[in-house]
Amino acid sequence: MDHFLTALQMALTPYAIGAVGLGTIIGLIFGSIPGLTFTVALALALPVTFGMDTVPAIALLLGTYIGGMTGGSVSAILLGIPGTPSAAATVLDGYPMTKQGRASIALGTAVIVSTVGGIFSLIVMIVSVNLVSKVAIDFGPAEIFALVLFGMSTICGLSSGSLMKGLIAGVLGLLIMTVGIDKIDGDNRMTFGSVNLLQGVNLLVAMIGLFAVPFIIDTFLQHRHGGLEAPATGSLKANLPSFGLMWRNAWLMARCAAIGTGIGAIPGTGGAIAAFLAYSHARRFSKTPERFGRGAIEGVIAPETANNAVTGGTLIPLLSLGVPGDPATAIVLAGLMIHGITPGPALFMTSETTVYAIYIAVVVAYVFILVFQLLGIRLFVYVLKIPQQLLAVIILVLCVIGAYTVRNSAFDVYSMGVIGVLAWGLVRAGIPITPVILGMVLGPTMESEYRTAMQLSGGHLNIFYTSPVAMFFLGLSALVVLMQATTSLRERASKRLESKNA
Amino acid sequence: MTPKRTIRALVAAAGLLATPLVALPALAQFPDKPVEMTVLFGGTANSIAQVLATEMGKSLGKPVVPVSRPGGGGAVGYSYVADTRPDGYNIVWNSNSINTAYHTGKIAFDYQKFAPIAMVSSEVPALAVKAGRGWASLDDLKAAVEKMPGKLKVGISGKGSFTQLVSAALFDAMGIGDKIAYISYGDGKAPVELMAGRIDAAVQWPGQYKSYVDSGQLDVLAVTGKKRVALLPEAKTAIEQGYDVDITMWRGLAAPKGTPPEVVKALQEAAQKATEDPAFEKAAKTLGFEISYEDSAAFGKEIAKDDAFYAKLLGHLGLKQQ
Repeated sequence: MDHFLTALQMALTPYAIGAVGLGTIIGLIFGSIPGLTFTVALALALPVTFGMDTVPAIALLLGTYIGGMTGGSVSAILLGIPGTPSAAATVLDGYPMTKQGRASIALGTAVIVSTVGGIFSLIVMIVSVNLVSKVAIDFGPAEIFALVLFGMSTICGLSSGSLMKGLIAGVLGLLIMTVGIDKIDGDNRMTFGSVNLLQGVNLLVAMIGLFAVPFIIDTFLQHRHGGLEAPATGSLKANLPSFGLMWRNAWLMARCAAIGTGIGAIPGTGGAIAAFLAYSHARRFSKTPERFGRGAIEGVIAPETANNAVTGGTLIPLLSLGVPGDPATAIVLAGLMIHGITPGPALFMTSETTVYAIYIAVVVAYVFILVFQLLGIRLFVYVLKIPQQLLAVIILVLCVIGAYTVRNSAFDVYSMGVIGVLAWGLVRAGIPITPVILGMVLGPTMESEYRTAMQLSGGHLNIFYTSPVAMFFLGLSALVVLMQATTSLRERASKRLESKNA
Repeated sequence: MTPKRTIRALVAAAGLLATPLVALPALAQFPDKPVEMTVLFGGTANSIAQVLATEMGKSLGKPVVPVSRPGGGGAVGYSYVADTRPDGYNIVWNSNSINTAYHTGKIAFDYQKFAPIAMVSSEVPALAVKAGRGWASLDDLKAAVEKMPGKLKVGISGKGSFTQLVSAALFDAMGIGDKIAYISYGDGKAPVELMAGRIDAAVQWPGQYKSYVDSGQLDVLAVTGKKRVALLPEAKTAIEQGYDVDITMWRGLAAPKGTPPEVVKALQEAAQKATEDPAFEKAAKTLGFEISYEDSAAFGKEIAKDDAFYAKLLGHLGLKQQ
């Protein structure tokens, strides 16, 4: 209790609260602007924290992290361009909602469920950090591979039209991520002797290209043909979701928060997997799955709850095992280390007060997010009043800046362009973009975990079938694929029947 | 001419006249603009670079800006800096990776493409096992491995990574080099895998073990440097235990070849001052690296010596490409 009170004193100084607030704003801005990513914001904030006291420093980084995670949904909903890979699943229903004029409802819902998910995961983390980290340790390469494969199986639910097209997109994503030096054997793959290709295709750069460039090209083309819709004027009201809506989806939120926390706790996974799994979970267990992809509010609630629940989840392996779950938490880890806080099992013995202060900072960050974002919605929706062609120019500039700053490499700007034009072609051919990003997010993890598992077992597949956890997830993946196959066969059969009758 | 314009013209003229007076010493004085420091890796490499750059900026009088150019095992950043103008405004935060990146075929040029500025820090890998396995020293481990039917599973950071090179040298010196199976883990997961019992030993960095050693869950059997590591004072060196292995990962600064000697000297002095600063000493303690300053000449000799060493080691491991 003494520790807790001291932590309160440390975390609730004006300086520390100010640091959290500043961090959240920075995170929100970088997360919500297409092209700019909050991983870059964290990298910029890191050196600033060196000169600060421990608690405000960590508070600034965590605020940026959490702000970025929620901010990613803003451009996903308003423009169909996710601000972070974790918000890619939110595009599926959030953007259709904007097209139907329900942008502010989607944004409001996203903020509220994000907060719920974040706080839920924090409570889980406080109550059960030791237990969860023990379970997380049991997830070895074989188990993580099976889990990620299960994540891959959500492609089935994402390819609304044809499963084949969804698979093509997924495989393209996997393919793109094999470029560069392979992490296990150090071999150069598909680099064609180019030093720049050695660094591989960066996920953030590809994401910017995949979602933003087709938007830009389409807008310019439509503008040229004069077919651009006039920006929605006048009727833009900042409606907030009703309490009843939230209450009806409370159970869905709880389940998705649990998914997010669980996925976050397993090192090497992350927000994007959690969001996609939650989305496909919500769709599968919905009474009206056909509404998904056409502006269903559940399609915003599920991924947004889950990806913020990941923030608390990733703190578990980060603090208790010293393993960062993604590039963003790796920067938070660097911030902790430089202030002399070495994460790991001894942390809870040696720096209990700091750990409590971190918890409090997370809560404060969510309070800030709730306030800033709910107030911000009024401003955000004005983005829709900007004529689309002007908006496209602004986004183009931001994307070029964003792609460059990820690794300070002009080459990344070119790769963004190439991937973007490719993505535009895919959209034209009716191939969905979302499975591409899913393949890109999951591919590297899936490959390296599989190969590590093979190294461990000396090349025997028995490492998979002797592990109940791995078998459970492999079974689930098989089930999902099977169900999808039978549904599509049945649909085809009934269509054939219809055409015969006609 | 209006009076306003006249004044402006006069000021401009005065400015023009004064320019040579101000500019000439400025030209001779390095630096007159920010210096860009290319950082090749994330993690500890990046954290040290941030602190070093801040401190160097203070003594140079112009900021030193760390710019991250990761990827390709250092190839991307090395290639970038090697192609910049040799004027001291583009320097690279380098490491043994200049030797390994060349010999494994990642870059077409070697260390001679750069002028050494100063060695700054060093990090020593450590070999750890799970507590309670009854292995207290390298000899215990050796005896156990010799009796083992299969191979010892050792967690490293990836094939051709520094941790694998160190492991290979250490286990060869112990005479059990052919009974080792290497398991690659990225992202610092090896200690966790060790805890879970999926691997038998791990060769990683002291900072990753620190918390587990404090909580009594892992034992560090050896560090591979000449001296013990401040972060893990209990852990003996391999040399203390009778195995002649002395490999440390150094980090330092280099500029493109052809950078004027007086510019290199200015940067070297700034680096030296930075390493003596309390803020840098504090960072060394918390991040788990050693400050090992060496001037340009000594650093250059060290790199050349290392180059021959890694050429031989990589050849022995079958990883040498050029």
